[in-house]
Amino acid sequence: MDKADIPFLTATELAAEIQSRNVSPVEAVDAYLERIERVNSHLNAYITVTGEAARQAARQAEEEIGRGEHKGALHGVPVAVKDQIHSAGVVTTDASKVRADFIPAEDATVLANLKRSGAILLGKLNMSEFALGDPVSSAFGPACNPWDLTRSPGTSSTGSGSATAGFLCATSLGEDTGGSIRGPAANCGLAGLRPTWGRVSRYGVDGACWSIDTIGPISRSVEDCAVTIGAIAGYDPKDPYTRQVPVPDYRAALTGDIAGLRVGVVSELLDPDQVGVGAQTRDAVLAAADVLRGLGAEIKELSLPLARHTGAIIRTITHVERVSIHPEWLRERPGDFHPNTRVAFTTANLIPAQVYYKAQKLRAVVRQQVLDALSEVDVLVQPTSSGPAAVMNTEPGEGTVEQAKQALVEGSFRGLYSLSGAPALSIPCGFTSDGPGGLPLALQIAGRPFDESTVLRVGHAYQQNTAWHERKPTI
Amino acid sequence: MERLTNAEIKAMGRAVGLDIADSELTRVNNGLTAILELMEEIDLPEVNLVEPLPLILPGEEDQRG
Repeated sequence: MDKADIPFLTATELAAEIQSRNVSPVEAVDAYLERIERVNSHLNAYITVTGEAARQAARQAEEEIGRGEHKGALHGVPVAVKDQIHSAGVVTTDASKVRADFIPAEDATVLANLKRSGAILLGKLNMSEFALGDPVSSAFGPACNPWDLTRSPGTSSTGSGSATAGFLCATSLGEDTGGSIRGPAANCGLAGLRPTWGRVSRYGVDGACWSIDTIGPISRSVEDCAVTIGAIAGYDPKDPYTRQVPVPDYRAALTGDIAGLRVGVVSELLDPDQVGVGAQTRDAVLAAADVLRGLGAEIKELSLPLARHTGAIIRTITHVERVSIHPEWLRERPGDFHPNTRVAFTTANLIPAQVYYKAQKLRAVVRQQVLDALSEVDVLVQPTSSGPAAVMNTEPGEGTVEQAKQALVEGSFRGLYSLSGAPALSIPCGFTSDGPGGLPLALQIAGRPFDESTVLRVGHAYQQNTAWHERKPTI
Repeated sequence: MERLTNAEIKAMGRAVGLDIADSELTRVNNGLTAILELMEEIDLPEVNLVEPLPLILPGEEDQRG
């Protein structure tokens, strides 16, 4: 295989090539580092590239594989993680000047687990400052969307979306609070899985909102997602909120068979009057439901009455919890924050306790509505976003209350499952146009807590019968 | 709900130890007003009957580490 072609393999394909010794880990790492050298200046996906450490890990993997050792599903595969995830001896910045010099002493559990499965870390990925969900707030400049460099790659795991779609890593990790895995996956035409709250350890990951944060994969296919989540999931004594629930073989669940599965379409999130969903997105999601019906699934429309309000509810909770994590920095070092982050954190400080308390009570109602719906069907489907990636706005001005409300309602597409703690997967289900300039549209599939397998099975079956995920940006 | 003035936002900031720059008062005001008004719109009488979501739900304690 030509070395220049290696980055264009999926993680699963590359792992198979490495396992069968058609490609060496050293070749794979070199191919990615060469592409990063050439392309990252356009995408700004990486904050830190750990090239020498990656080459050293690749040499070690090559020796291990040569001895017939097999560490795991990602042995020798180059990966990258959001710069919110601690990496021993490597600066971890949260994309903020405030954390520009922070060098953790140990790896986060998710990174340690990735390495245990044989993965090789290429570096740390750009993000919204403190994972706040703003595409331009990184102290290192914004990451760009490989489909259109002027558009947002999705927040807050901006670099995870950009690098994975731009073929600068084989698979990546993001962190999802209100949608920070699913948003970048949607904007960049990728598969992104928010796991069940408690499925994946958050130990060693800088918190955005302690009661909602999750860590999960952003990958080029559902199969890659399954392999990546399989490498990081499971109980961790260092995170008391992880659960002792067995981790299944996610890849084995990808049977392609969804005959008889019950699929609910969330009606509120397809209603332009309620959430402003675009016609192309709505049509693409309904067409995706037809594909699932064609595969033998039973499709029915379901109502989740609070769905359109979940953006405001989750923003209230995440804002309050986020500023509670590091209250002193805003008072002592306000000039070290991006203006957008400073305004958002300041706003968060002013939310009355009674409003936060109401949001927590509504969260309980939302969770029950989602669980009730999932007792009638096996999975729920809906758009991941109202439309394709928006153009990044570096000069937001003062804005208006109506614009601020619109942004909150947009968060409802992803906030529904963040609030309920259920797993949710975003996959591409169409493009705005067939020619150059076409942007990805996305379908979201959610399931019962700890049933990521069914969610992945549906997503994989869809990808086996469609080709949206095979389209490549030209960068 | 009557909207807050920027002077009131400035005073609220002082109450929590923040000196909000005049140039950022309107943005903070807009963001806070949007949250307060959308949360006010959610008029669900039964919400007063539920407890805020406990992270570890009853019956699930045995699954904790």
